[in-house]
Order: sequence, then structure tokens, then C-alpha cells
Amino acid sequence: MTSPETTARAITVEGLSLSIRDFHLSGIDFALSGGEILVILGPNGSGKSLTLETIAGFHRPAAGRVLIGGRDVTQLAPERRNVAFMVQNFGLFPHLTVRQNVAVGLRKRRASPERHAAALPHGDVAGLLDYFDITQLAQRAPHSLSAGEKQRVALARALAAEPDLFLFDEPFSALDAHTRDQLREELASFLRRLSIPAIFVTHDHTDAMVLADRIIVLRGGITVQAGSVQEVFYKPANVFVARFIGVENILAGRIAGSCEALSTVAIGERMLRAAGPQVASGAYVQVGVRAEAVSIHSVGSASAPGVNRFVARVTEVRILGPLATVQIDCGFPLKAYVLAQQARDLELIPGRTVEAEIAPASVRLMFD
Amino acid sequence: MQSTARFSPLVLGLLCALLPGSFAARAAESTTLTVFAAGTLAVPFKEIDERFHEQYPNVTVQPQFGGSVKMAKQITDLHRDADLLAVADYSVIPKYMFGGNGKQAYAKWYVGICRNAITFVYTDKSKGAGEINSKNWYKVLARKGVEIGRSNPDTDPSGYQTVQMLNLANKYYDDPNIETSVLANAPLANMRDTETSLISALQLGQIDYLAIYRSDALQHHLKFVDLPNKINLSDATESSYYAQGTVQTKNGTLTGKPIVYAITIVEGSKNAAIAEKYVAFLLGPEGQAIMKKNGFGEFKPAYAVNPDAMPQGLKSQVKPWPGS
Amino acid sequence: MAIETQGGWRWRTAPSHPHSVFLLCWFLGGVLLAFIAIPLIALAGYSAANLAEVARMADVRAAILLSLEAAFLSATFAALIGVPLAYVLARSSFPGKGAVAALIDLPLAVPHTVAGIGLLMVFGRHGPLGEPLHALVGIKFWGTIAGIVVAMMFVSAPYTVNAARMGFEAVDPRLEKIARTLGLGPWRTFMRISLPLAWRGIMTGITLTYARSISEFGAVVILVYYPMTAPVKIYELFLRIGLDQAAGAAVLLLIVSLSLFVLLRYLAHQRETIRENR
Repeated sequence: MTSPETTARAITVEGLSLSIRDFHLSGIDFALSGGEILVILGPNGSGKSLTLETIAGFHRPAAGRVLIGGRDVTQLAPERRNVAFMVQNFGLFPHLTVRQNVAVGLRKRRASPERHAAALPHGDVAGLLDYFDITQLAQRAPHSLSAGEKQRVALARALAAEPDLFLFDEPFSALDAHTRDQLREELASFLRRLSIPAIFVTHDHTDAMVLADRIIVLRGGITVQAGSVQEVFYKPANVFVARFIGVENILAGRIAGSCEALSTVAIGERMLRAAGPQVASGAYVQVGVRAEAVSIHSVGSASAPGVNRFVARVTEVRILGPLATVQIDCGFPLKAYVLAQQARDLELIPGRTVEAEIAPASVRLMFD
Repeated sequence: MQSTARFSPLVLGLLCALLPGSFAARAAESTTLTVFAAGTLAVPFKEIDERFHEQYPNVTVQPQFGGSVKMAKQITDLHRDADLLAVADYSVIPKYMFGGNGKQAYAKWYVGICRNAITFVYTDKSKGAGEINSKNWYKVLARKGVEIGRSNPDTDPSGYQTVQMLNLANKYYDDPNIETSVLANAPLANMRDTETSLISALQLGQIDYLAIYRSDALQHHLKFVDLPNKINLSDATESSYYAQGTVQTKNGTLTGKPIVYAITIVEGSKNAAIAEKYVAFLLGPEGQAIMKKNGFGEFKPAYAVNPDAMPQGLKSQVKPWPGS
Repeated sequence: MAIETQGGWRWRTAPSHPHSVFLLCWFLGGVLLAFIAIPLIALAGYSAANLAEVARMADVRAAILLSLEAAFLSATFAALIGVPLAYVLARSSFPGKGAVAALIDLPLAVPHTVAGIGLLMVFGRHGPLGEPLHALVGIKFWGTIAGIVVAMMFVSAPYTVNAARMGFEAVDPRLEKIARTLGLGPWRTFMRISLPLAWRGIMTGITLTYARSISEFGAVVILVYYPMTAPVKIYELFLRIGLDQAAGAAVLLLIVSLSLFVLLRYLAHQRETIRENR
């Protein structure tokens, strides 16, 4: 990732802040290299679209810098920044045909011919249409296209302008789940092939799971957590992030004891071991456990006593295709995901007594 | 709650529909007298209507003002209901209202009510305002750069009367160029269908002089030039001299006549009895005093054309128009 | 509205609306259509015999032509200065925006004569605009076509601004943002994206302005009597000759105007269908 090609396409945002009416966006920082995808995750009103629009150049930040491809574009107008902007419903120009849409941003001359040679198709309209397999749609009007076709036209149009950065503003929010999955896959493979950095804004954590290399979680204009997918998903910083990224079990507890690598937290009458740095005894804490981290076994099946292994009673079982969701009560409620086959093997029905086990590494302590 | 909310607009609507009805019922008890009159009569008639209402409290006079010809045509062509018609040029009534040639007769007689004179009004801003007088007026008006406004001779009495006056001036001053030189400063751009709509143009300085009636000059408190009686069409005894002044219009050649305002009761008026009282008031001492106060000349005795066709009560106040 | 299907034509109505709603709408709408059509038909019937005679009068033809020309100029200038204003009103917010919008509506409430006098004050011989314009460029507004255009514009420009504003408001601002990111500067974005998408609204406004300009009398006549526009001519005919000729000239004006509007709408519609079918 150190070739001049990729450095030229990096994007860096430093300390970006901005105030609009009553809303304050503060201290957005990140850096992306070519081919990386940053997902900005947050609820409605958290400032995600505002951040995107500021990077695109539609708002002037109160402080901070935006560097695209090595250039400081903070003071530049949007048309000089070489960014592509993709929105919900894809924003195709309704009064132009597909061909005309794609041709809108076509550059008359190339800044540096080598830059895009590797991943890009020929830089003319015919080439782009061919690359996205939409040549047969060239004369069609945008309103007659399917969502997938629209996405491809929008991408072709964006590429025609030779962007250094792709910005996506919740493009899938208005779509049904199936189309969403399909388009997301297409988009992911397209972006990886192109090695142009991309910033994707969404409130759906599944988008983050599929697309992200890095994640920023925004709330009320402030960065709550930033890091790789691994970090954010498996080590959420606080309850807000945990809920947002879909941690299914969040329980209140109190630290009973702690040593350098392991802490004991009391939840109700149970004691859970959690891996992680030393914590003050007696502190109140929120405990996050992902449902897939809870394993279910039949009673007495363990060869040796395990850490975080409890007797529990099944309260609900739901089979969803190859997976099953199991609600158990072990002094506190827990949700677990098991394979449907396992559920059948263990004869899981409400009322059955089982043993549940959670690896200490999967017990996440969070403080608010 | 919801059902009453739905009712109230309905109730309101019904009330609104009934209300005017109740007003109309009340109004029907009093009589409304509709008077169509020349625009230049607007101010004096307002006062006359008030005095008349004091004398006859159950009569409301509703006047409408406009060009004499326009008001006549509203009756003859548009068939609007009017009880009385008062015009700035007495000849408008026989020309448009008497019928003949298969046309319906809307009036059978008329009586003169007052006189007027043609004059030119101006303001302090007007070119030559400081020096213009009764002797040099035609020289000042003919100067280059002077803008003069007047009404359309094809459609309005004061329009053709102005040209007739200028035509007479040629003879009076023994100078055949007066008419053309003055009219050169009154091009089509300065013309309107009735002179009163040019008053604002005068006040704004768009034009320097406006050909208009003396009564208007006094009513609007405008400076005016006193033109010699022999040409200003104000003297009923000079009608034979006036007849020498002519003007070409789309309605043919019109010869000069004294400016005499006339009134008639429209044929078929439902309020003929009250209308008769109105005419009597107008011809009587109080009505005449109001007219004089507003700058109109007296027309005494009150001559009438076809006095036999007039209502009995008015016959005593009038004399037959000489020469008719 | 009517679309072609296999079996012939049928009316495109939303299937979810019960028939009774549409019937009521048509009934009430019919009342309005009758309200408009019946006086016009009565006029036409009354003056049918005079149409040929009136059409032969050169001064009537000249007046109608003058009205059409002046109205065209009025609509053009109104568009040139009104459409940009509409864009600003649609896209930006600033202190006093409400006042500006109200000001634009004001000419519609001003009595026409009063409007004419106001214009005379400004554009007349001694007016703050009239005097310098005459001295520098030699333009006069008293008794000239310039005066007619100015009077027409005053009373009819609000239609252009309001309709164009609605046209721009209906354009998704995100489309403009996308165009900017594709490399189009603000001006090219306006010309290639905003303007074409708002075109329908703009054309509606221009047509209304044109129509309103043709019919204006009160404001025009304060500034200009000669040369006579059609409404002034019609009035003069009424005074001079009679109702028959005046009505005849009025109907002639209506026929010419109607044909023009039908042609305009047809041309605008053609342009749209071509675009959609590509």
C-alpha cells in the first residue's frame, strides 16, 4: 500500500468541525488509503450526512482540513475536489437518458493517464457503459430502470468524472432487504476492484459489516468510537455503540474483583469472568455479550468445569432457516444463536435445562 | 367534539348566506336613484346628492361617473338600468339617446343645467407658467418643447370642443396657424379618452398644459388661463359665432356649440317620480347655487328640447330651447 | 390523461379513488368551466356577424399585433429578471425573504390605475428613471411601446416569479449537488440541471405573464393611449361606434390569443414527449 499510485488517492480528514443552526459537528479525524472503505455509522441526526457533505464541499468547516489525493481541498468548491457523490435513489438526472447521464461529468482531458489505467475501463462513455454492462440501456430514461440498473448507471456516471474519492449517503435506505443485499455485494466488489477510497454513511450495521474496513460511530456530531471492524464490532466502547452495532445481550453488573487480565463481574447472583484490563472493584458496569458467543450444551456434558458455564433454562426457541435463536434464563436473560441442527440435537424446547458457556474474551465490559 | 366541528362551517356558511338577504330586505324599503353623469360633474353632484337625500331621506342616490358618451352607451348598448343621464355636451343626448333609424329611444327630452368653458390648466412646473395669460396663451402653448394634453375628439366632448375652440381662435386672432401650432404640441401620445385621466400626468409634470373645463380647474385647484368668451364656448348667446369653429372626427365634421350640460330622465325608469324631483332640485335655486360654487356657469333660463314630453311638474321650470 | 390500451382509449384514473369522488370533482369543475365558457360563447355569438368586418379594419389588426408584440417583450423581460430571482427564492434563505416574496405578490393587489400612476412617476418626463433614460439612451415611456411593456410587466411579472419558484422548488437539490461533484460549476449546473428540470413551471409562469400582459388596460392607458393596444382599441370602438364592433374586436383578440396559447402548449408538450421517449 505504499506505491505512489495509492498514496495519491489517500484521503485525510483532520479535526473537521462545523456548526449549522443548533447542530455541532466536532473533531472528525480519519485517514484512508486507496481501496479502503470507511463506514460512518450512526442514528438519524448524528451528523453523518453533514460530514459527508462537508467533505464534498457543500459546507465550509469552522475548523479542520480535508486532503484528497494529497491536495488540501478545504477551501475548494465541490466541482474542483474530484469526489463522487452517491445518494438514496441514486440521483440520476430524470431529464437525460442513461448515456447523457453518464456523459455529464466526462472529463475532456485526463490529469494523469496512468492513474486510472489499472482499474478503470476506457475513459469514454461507450467504454464505461460496457464495463458496467449497461450498454443496452443507453437510450433509456432513468425512471424506467430497476434499482440495480440505476446503481450501475450512477457508478458509471461517477467514474466518468474520474473521482479520487467516493461518497455514499445511505444509498440503500429506501430499498427492500433483498435488493439491498444484492446491491451491497455488487458495490463491495466494485469498490475493491477500483482501489479508490470510499466513505459510506449508514444507520444499518449490516452495511458496515459487509463493506467496512474502518468504522466511525457518530452520535450527536461527536465520534463515539473509531477503529477497524474488529475493534468496533467486538470491542464496543460503550452501550450506545454496542446497541447500535447489534450486540444482543447488554446486562447491568458490578465488578466483584479484578486482576491484571481478568475481572469478575456480578450479574444478579451469577459471577461472570471477563477478559480485559484491570478495573476498580465495586464499579458499576454494563456487560455486552454477542449472541453467537453464547454456546449451549446439554447438562453435564463438560469434561472439566468451565469458566462462565452456567445451568440455564430455555424460555424460547425460534428456528430461522439454518440458524436458531434461543432465549435462556440463567439468573438473567440471555440470547444465543445456535445452528438449527444443534437445536434439534439438543432437543431445545422451552423449559429444558441446559448449560450455557461464554468465553471470557467475549464478555465485554463497558462504562458510560 | 368531531361532529360539532363538522357542523360549525356549515352553520357559518348558512349565516353568511342569510345576512345579505336581510340587508337587501331593509334596503328595499328605500328607493335607489341611479344617476349616470359626466365625469366633470362628479364633485358638484356629490354635494347635490347629499342635499337631495336630506330633503328626501328615503331616497339614496347612486351616481356613476364617466365620459358622457360612455355613460350614454352604457344605457343604449349595454342596457344598464339608470334613471337619469347627465352629459357634458347636450348634443350627446339627442345623438345617442333619442333613437330613430330603427333604434330604440331611451330619452325623449333634455334640459340644460349649467354651462362650462374650455380652458387650459397648468402648474408651477409647467413651461411658460410664469408668463402665460389671456392674451399670449396661444404663443406660449405653441413654443417648442411644451407638452399639451387633451382628450380624444372622436370619443369625448371636451376633446372635440378643444379643437373647435382652437379653430375659432384662428378667426378671433386672425392667425391661421394657431390651431396647427398648438395641436403640434398635443400629439397622440398626449391624448386620452377622457381628459380627467390626464390630471395626474399634469401634476407629475409629464405634460405642461391640459385642455379641460373651467369647473375642473376650480375643483382641482389648478391654475388656468381665462380664454376669451368668444372662443371658450361658454356663452349661450354666441352660438352662431361658435358655429364657425369646426373639427374633423371619425364621426364626421362637428361644429362648435356652447358647452351646455344637460340632463334627462331615461325612458322606462322605474323611479320616474323621484327622478323628476331630482331634476327639479337641480334646476332649483339650491341646485344651481351648488353648480355655481363648483365653477360651472349658470344656464338661465333653463332651456329644454321637447318640453312637451317632459313630466308635468317640470314644465313650468323650463323654456323651449330657441331654434329647436 | 387518456392512455391507449389494447382495446382503445381509457381514462387514466387512480384505481384507489372511488368513482363518486371523481364525479363530484367533474361536477364542480364543470361549473367553473361553464362560468368561464358561457360569457365567452355569448360574446362570440353576439359578435359573430361583425367578425369579418372588424377583421378588415386595419387599426384593429394593428392593435392586436401591438398587444401580442408588447406582451411578448413583457414576458421575455419578466423571464430574464424573474427566473433568476425565483431560483434565489427557491434555494436560499436570508433575512427578509418573506418580505421579498410578499413584495413580489404586491402588484397583483394594486389597482391598475394606481400602478399606472406609480409607473408614470418613475418613468415619466421628470421621473427618476424616465428623465435620465431619455437623456442618455433616448428612451421614452410616455406614448411608446416601451411604456406599454413596462406597464404590462408590472402587473404580470409576479406570475413568472411564483410559477418558476415552484418549478425550482420541485427540483431535488441533491441533483444539483451531484452535478457539482461531477465537475459542473454553479452556472453549468443551473443551465444543464436546474433550469431544464424546472422548465415546466417556468413555461407556465411565462404563459400566464404573456396572457395577463395582453389583457392589461388600466395601467397601460395611464402611460400609453396611442399607439393603441387591443384593450384600448376595443374600448375606443365601444365609445365611438358601439358594442357590436367592440365585442367583435374582443372576440377576434380572443381567437388570436387562444390559437397562440394552444400552439405554445403544443410545442412545449412536443418537446417533453420527445425527451421522455428517448
